[in-house]
Amino acid sequence: MKTGLKGLDPRSKLVLVLCLSTLGVLIQDIRVLTAVLSVSMVLSVAAGSRLFALVKKFRRILWLFVAIAIIQSIFSPSGRVLVNLGGIKLITVGGLYKGVAMVLRMSIVMVSATIMATSNYREIVQGLVQWRIPYEIAFMVSVAIRFLPLLTDEIKNVVTAVQLRGIELDKIPVRQRLKVYSYLIMPVVSGAVIKSRELATTMETRAFRAYPKRTSYMLLTMQRADYAVIIISMAVSIFTLMFYFYAI
Amino acid sequence: MTMPLEVRDLWYRYPGSGEDVLRGVNLTVEPGEVLAVVGLSGSGKSTLCYCLSGIVPHIYSGNMRGEVLIKGTPTTSMKIPQIATRLGIVFQEPDTQLFSPTVEDEVAFGPENLCLSREEIGERLKTALKLVGMEDFRLGSPNQLSGGQKQLIALASVLSLDPEILIFDEAMSQIDAQGKTAIKEAISGLKDRGKTIVMIEHDLDNLDVADRVLLLREGVLQPFEGRL
Repeated sequence: MKTGLKGLDPRSKLVLVLCLSTLGVLIQDIRVLTAVLSVSMVLSVAAGSRLFALVKKFRRILWLFVAIAIIQSIFSPSGRVLVNLGGIKLITVGGLYKGVAMVLRMSIVMVSATIMATSNYREIVQGLVQWRIPYEIAFMVSVAIRFLPLLTDEIKNVVTAVQLRGIELDKIPVRQRLKVYSYLIMPVVSGAVIKSRELATTMETRAFRAYPKRTSYMLLTMQRADYAVIIISMAVSIFTLMFYFYAI
Repeated sequence: MTMPLEVRDLWYRYPGSGEDVLRGVNLTVEPGEVLAVVGLSGSGKSTLCYCLSGIVPHIYSGNMRGEVLIKGTPTTSMKIPQIATRLGIVFQEPDTQLFSPTVEDEVAFGPENLCLSREEIGERLKTALKLVGMEDFRLGSPNQLSGGQKQLIALASVLSLDPEILIFDEAMSQIDAQGKTAIKEAISGLKDRGKTIVMIEHDLDNLDVADRVLLLREGVLQPFEGRL
C-alpha cells in the first residue's frame, strides 16, 4: 500500500507540481530558485520518483544545460565583463546570472514533473476526468504516454535496419548523416500511423464512445492528506510570491 | 432458426484498388461451432474478419456488396458499439490491443464504455479474467506479460463485453508454443460455454480446436482439403 507522498491522489500531486512550476517560472532570483529546486528534489524523492536514476539516464544531455546558460549569457549581457572576444562581450556577470536562472527554472519544471510520474497514467486520467476534463482529452494524453516507448522502439528498429545495410552512422559526415535520418522519417511515421489506426480500431470494437458518457470502475477519493497538501502548497506558493515581489 | 453469423454473397474491394479481395463469400456459422478459415497471406482472411466484425464498412471504407448478418441483423444497420456487445474480435498484434497501465483497467475499458454500474463491471472483470486463467495478473501491467499472456488479456477485454460470437484474427501468429496452448485451451473453454468462434489462421498446427475448416483462396471460400 502506498503511504505518505507516494499515496497521494494524483490531483494533489498535480497541484503541488503546478505550484512548484509557477514559482520556477515567476521567480528570477537564483537564491530563491535554488531553494525551490532543492524543495522540488526532496519532494520528488519523498514521492518515490526515480529522480537520480533519471538524472543518470539523461546525463548525456546535461551539456545542453551548460550551453543554454552560455547562450543566454551571450544574448543578454549586463554588468562586469568576464570574457571579451574581439570587442564582443561574450560572458558577463549579469548574463551568466540570467543563464543560471534559466537552467534552474528548467530543472524545477523537470524535477517537479517527476512527482507526477509516481502515479500511473490511468490514475492521472481518472483524476483529470473527476476534475471534469473531457475523457477523450485525458485519454489521449494517457495513450500518448503509453505509446511513446513503442515509437522509440520503432525508431531504433529503423535505425538498426539502415545500419544492417552497411551504413555506419557514427562514421559518416554530419551532412550525410542528416540525409540518412531524413530517409528514416517516412517508415517511422507510417509505422506510427498504422499503430494508431490499429489502436483506434481496437478501441472502437470495445464500444468506445458508445454513449456520450461512460462509467469508471476506478474512483479516486481525496483524503485529508490530499487536502492538506493542496492547501499547504498553494499557501506557501502565494506567500513566497508575495514575499518575493513585495518584500525583496 | 437465426444463426449467430451469416454471410451472403459478400464482395469487397479496397478504395483505389482495381480488384475484389473477397469474391462472393457465403458462410453460415452455427451456434457453439468453432470454425477455422485458413489461407495464404493476401488471400483476404483479415478483410473477411473486418467484414464479419463490422469494421468494414463502419471504420474502413471501400466497396462492399452482399450482407453480413449477426443474429439475423445486417452489420450495416448496426453501430459498432452495438456489434461489440454481440461479437468480439482479438487481433494479431498484442501491443496495439493493450493500452491501459493495468490489466484491470484494460478489461474494464469495454464495460465502462457501456455505462455499466461499478458492481457489474467488477463482476465482469472477475468472470473474464477467470475464463482466461489470468486472475492473478489483475493488478499487473500488460507491458510485463509474455505475448501469449497479452493475447489472453486482449481476449478477456473482449469477453468482458459478453459477446456471443468471437473472432480470432491470427491471434496465435506472434506468440510462442506455450502461449498458443493457452489460447487454444481458452478457445476450448469458450466453446464449452456455448460461444460461437471463428478462427482465422495460416498455421495448420493450430486447427486441432476447430470443428470445421474452410479455405479462403484468392477471395473465394471453399472446403479445405489439407493444403493451402
